Amino acid sequence: MAREREDRDGKSKAQERVDDRHNKRRVFWRTVLLMVLFGAVAFVPLVGRLYQLQIVQHEELQEKAADQQTRDLSVSADRGTIYDSEGNILAMSATVQNLILSPKDLNAAIEENDEKIAAGKKANPNLNQAFVAQGLSQITGLDAEKIIERMGRTNSQYEVLYRKMENDMSERVRAFIADNKLGNGVYLEPDSKRYYPYASLASTVIGFTGSENQGLYGTEYVYDEALSGVSGRVLTAKNGWGTEMLSQYENYIDAQDGRDHHLTINATIQGFAEKALEEGIEKYDVQNGGFCIVMDPNTAAILAMASNGGYDLNSPFEIFDPDEAFRLEEMKADPAVDEETYKGELSKAQWAQWTNRCVNDTYEPGSTFKSMVVAAALEEGVVDLNTQFYCSGSKQVAGFTIHCSKREGHGAQDLTMAVQNSCNPAFIEIGQRLGAEKFYDYMEDFGFLSYTGVDLNGENKGRVWDRDFFESAEGAASLATASFGQTFRITPIQLITAACSVVNGGHLMVPHVLDYTTDAEGNVVDTVPVTEVRQVISEQTSATVRELLEQVVGAPKGTGKNAYQPGYRIGGKTGTSEKIGADQNEDDYIVSFLGVAPANDPKVVILLAYDTPKPSYPGSSWTASGTYISGGNMAAPMAGPLLRQILDYMGVEKQYSAAELSGADSTVPSLVGYDEATAASECKRLGYTYRKIGDGAAVTGQIPAAGAVLPAGSEVLIYMGERAPTDPVEVPDLAGKTPDQTKQALAAVNLYMRGSGSAQYFTSGTLCATQSIPAGAMVDPGTVVDVTFVENITDYRPE
Amino acid sequence: MAKTRFRDRTYRQQLARGPVDLPFLMLVLLLTGIGLITVFSASFGSAYYENGDPSMYFRSQLRMAIGGVLIMWLASRLDYQILRRLAKWGLIGSFILLLMVKVPGIGVTAKGANRWIRILGVRFQPSEIAKVGVIVYFSAKLAARDPEKKRKWNPKMGLGRVLNFLERIGFMELLPYMGILLLMAALLLWEPHMSGTILILAGGAAVLFAGGIHWGWFAAGGAVLVPGLWFIMNHTNYMASRLATWRDPWSDPRDAGWQTIQSLYAIGSGGLLGKGFGKSMQKFLYLPEEHNDFIFSIWCEEMGFIGAVVVIILFVLLILRGYWLALHARDKFGALLIVGIITLTAVQVFLNIGVVTNFIPPTGISLPFFSYGGTALMIQLGEMGIVLSVSRQIEAPRLG
Repeated sequence: MAREREDRDGKSKAQERVDDRHNKRRVFWRTVLLMVLFGAVAFVPLVGRLYQLQIVQHEELQEKAADQQTRDLSVSADRGTIYDSEGNILAMSATVQNLILSPKDLNAAIEENDEKIAAGKKANPNLNQAFVAQGLSQITGLDAEKIIERMGRTNSQYEVLYRKMENDMSERVRAFIADNKLGNGVYLEPDSKRYYPYASLASTVIGFTGSENQGLYGTEYVYDEALSGVSGRVLTAKNGWGTEMLSQYENYIDAQDGRDHHLTINATIQGFAEKALEEGIEKYDVQNGGFCIVMDPNTAAILAMASNGGYDLNSPFEIFDPDEAFRLEEMKADPAVDEETYKGELSKAQWAQWTNRCVNDTYEPGSTFKSMVVAAALEEGVVDLNTQFYCSGSKQVAGFTIHCSKREGHGAQDLTMAVQNSCNPAFIEIGQRLGAEKFYDYMEDFGFLSYTGVDLNGENKGRVWDRDFFESAEGAASLATASFGQTFRITPIQLITAACSVVNGGHLMVPHVLDYTTDAEGNVVDTVPVTEVRQVISEQTSATVRELLEQVVGAPKGTGKNAYQPGYRIGGKTGTSEKIGADQNEDDYIVSFLGVAPANDPKVVILLAYDTPKPSYPGSSWTASGTYISGGNMAAPMAGPLLRQILDYMGVEKQYSAAELSGADSTVPSLVGYDEATAASECKRLGYTYRKIGDGAAVTGQIPAAGAVLPAGSEVLIYMGERAPTDPVEVPDLAGKTPDQTKQALAAVNLYMRGSGSAQYFTSGTLCATQSIPAGAMVDPGTVVDVTFVENITDYRPE
Repeated sequence: MAKTRFRDRTYRQQLARGPVDLPFLMLVLLLTGIGLITVFSASFGSAYYENGDPSMYFRSQLRMAIGGVLIMWLASRLDYQILRRLAKWGLIGSFILLLMVKVPGIGVTAKGANRWIRILGVRFQPSEIAKVGVIVYFSAKLAARDPEKKRKWNPKMGLGRVLNFLERIGFMELLPYMGILLLMAALLLWEPHMSGTILILAGGAAVLFAGGIHWGWFAAGGAVLVPGLWFIMNHTNYMASRLATWRDPWSDPRDAGWQTIQSLYAIGSGGLLGKGFGKSMQKFLYLPEEHNDFIFSIWCEEMGFIGAVVVIILFVLLILRGYWLALHARDKFGALLIVGIITLTAVQVFLNIGVVTNFIPPTGISLPFFSYGGTALMIQLGEMGIVLSVSRQIEAPRLG
């Protein structure tokens, strides 16, 4: 009210000055307020925000930014080659092409072409989707309609039409692309493909790779990293349009090619092993395939390893076994079988053929295991060569009656005989003499409780009782059965590795398939060391066991006598093991042979086994072809020639016993006029081998002539459709030659040798002393020359 | 007219010949210089790839900067008092220019908006002129304000009584200002030009606030604006989707969120010390508007947190010095002019950095002295010239 009045009256000068000051002060303070607000407060959160982005989130944002700013092209490294021990290529990579379609670019090119046509400019009159699809279809065999369908994905720039195209096809595609100037629309992209020149050879060991060239199985899998090498990278900066900015930033990391891998596997020996396996399977009507391992006992290098029939590494997903493939084909075609079941069966069949039974599966080793038992017993001194055993045909253990394979019993026998006979009661006694604790110690020491460490994928290990049970009273029966290799399971690789240690002087080694790796220049990069796990038995014991094993094969009544090959000193142990399991028939057996040669200085150890030879009727012990089902009757006869082949290939010198050299003489009959089969069986009956010359249907000549007296083991020459040479030949000078050289020298001129001498085994230290027909004399082909050998005693004189 | 000698000049004339404020001038030149070289670096990628001439934008900006500094010099030589007389015409001119954006042949349509006009080959945004026009006009009016002098209406009539009441609470005084601002906002939203609207409202409001309008009106304005904005944000699809992108740019990384994400990549990859001048990668066609509204992101990428803070400090110093000049201005008109211009600049800097760091929802506001755009730079430098002109008439502190 007072104010109003003053207004009406007019302000005093003093009042006006006060108002003016108020007014000025108000402007002042309000400006200060704005100053604080906009000059300071407002920028605090902004600095905070920048701190958050540039310091706290720096790494995360920078990474994302770098991600979009750089183009990261990988440069693939060449996968290393896999060689066998002789330098043969087992697996190699070659460049192939992937056919890529970029619908986006192709459609753009077609559009541009259409515009040119419309404008009357020079253009390709054919260019359209159908034409391109048709052209590609003709070259590649792809369905043209499907290609057109892919062209419909207009936003895509990367459609793989064809993977891993071989050179001849890709050349034609290249020409088609060039002719029609398809440029970015259709192009080829290099890729690599794995080739396995030996197809199925050693397939379960070598393994295969997947579509991205990654190792999936076997050596390809185990050594995938070293084989793959390291992909190189090209990092280039790109701008927001995706264009490379070469001047900005570029970084090359060279690709490092994969190492070449040299295996201990020998393709030739592998071939022998696979052939022996295959032949045995055929011959004995074997139901579940088999396996075979060949090992160098001194280094535990695996020279060959075969499993069932293998498969073609070049198409590992196809079923290799023709019968199985046929069964699956039928199943696929059968409308009653649904897709799921078929796929399940297919997958099962694939896994079955990929499985390397030698390391992936376990089995009951049977009597082959006795080699380890007798070695342990000798080492512990609980038996010696003179120890006497008595076999009545069965033995009572912990209330069970355990039968010997020979029901009527072996009677009294010493250790050598017990091993030869593979007598179960004798071995039960040996096991009992060792005692559960020692027995288990040796199981452990021979590596049956642990992995061997072999460089193959999916290694299994033994299924063995635990120690507490085995050593307890309840374990007595187990000790008894373990003594002859039954009621526990181990892998074949465990068995042969242990067997190698038994014969090589007691050294348990780590088995391996890789020998060494090399780089692109061939320089050795890594060598797999020969690794000894432990010494299990002494050199002395090992030597004794070698002798025992040689007797098993060499003795006239040894269980392994069917493996006998004159000149090769094969030792071994047979095995016939029951297959125990819920799904097994009582008369399913695995028959096996563990062989070592030469027995005095082992160069090679093999394990050959067949799974379930088919009995002629259920419960029978004989096959339909009349072979008694046992390791000695089935595996041993296949293993003997296999060892002979391997030793010949390895160039191991033959050693003949005196008996072998003199041989039993027979009179050679006339073979002329017979067909080959008859002549062959006649030769075999008399203990001769034969060599065929010519291709005729009937024998037209022979060396030596009928009526000649020839030692057993000699080679008769059969001429089929050719005349046998009759010109006299000159007897060579044999003085100072070893038995093997002598035999060869005479064989070269179609002469024969009958050797004699004092030494038990004739080796390179045994030299020819006299010959019945002097050197230089002219005799008829086929004449037998008597030769005597003497042991050449070497004096070691200090120099 | 004969040149008068210094001692013969009037006090006012002597004042108008005083020295310009050197710190403020230095800050302006420093920021303009840094802005120029940043334009060179930031525009390199798009200039090279889109136009094949990497220094194209830089050369154009350099010419305009030289012109701008010249205009600043001229404006600082000018006695700002004459703006009092020109204020009305400036405002009318602003309205005419704002209307011209819709005139075919003069108005330029870009990105679906009519924000530009072209007269005699010069292309510019009338809103830039209008900002100055409003500030000058409001300052002039408010400087002459006498809060105690109330108009009277016949209290015998009902309307008169209402009017008297409105006059007493200051509403009648506010009415013309509000009318001008609302009309201008309407014209700008018609273009449409959201950021221009915000800046003009901010500049006008700052002058009104400093000019002494009762704080209650600002509170009332806020009370209307805040719920209104809240409503728009939550109940219009356009704004709602824009806000969603603001909260999480990665929800639509290739489209709506692209620019924000690219800006964050640029700022974030700068780190503490930055990649080094010229070493930005994001400027190579990743970050859109990289030499324009988002130029600060490139600066952050190249110069790091340190560089970013240095530029913010320079802006803060410029703003503080500006307000300091306002506080010491010779008269209310000068003070309000500076408050308007400096507040406008400050709001622009705040909003720009806020947007590029995704601190506030995206809106297209350029960074003073930095963003590419010749006429805007010239007008900004002209505004700084006005501030300098005011600074010349500050009385020298008495010695002793």
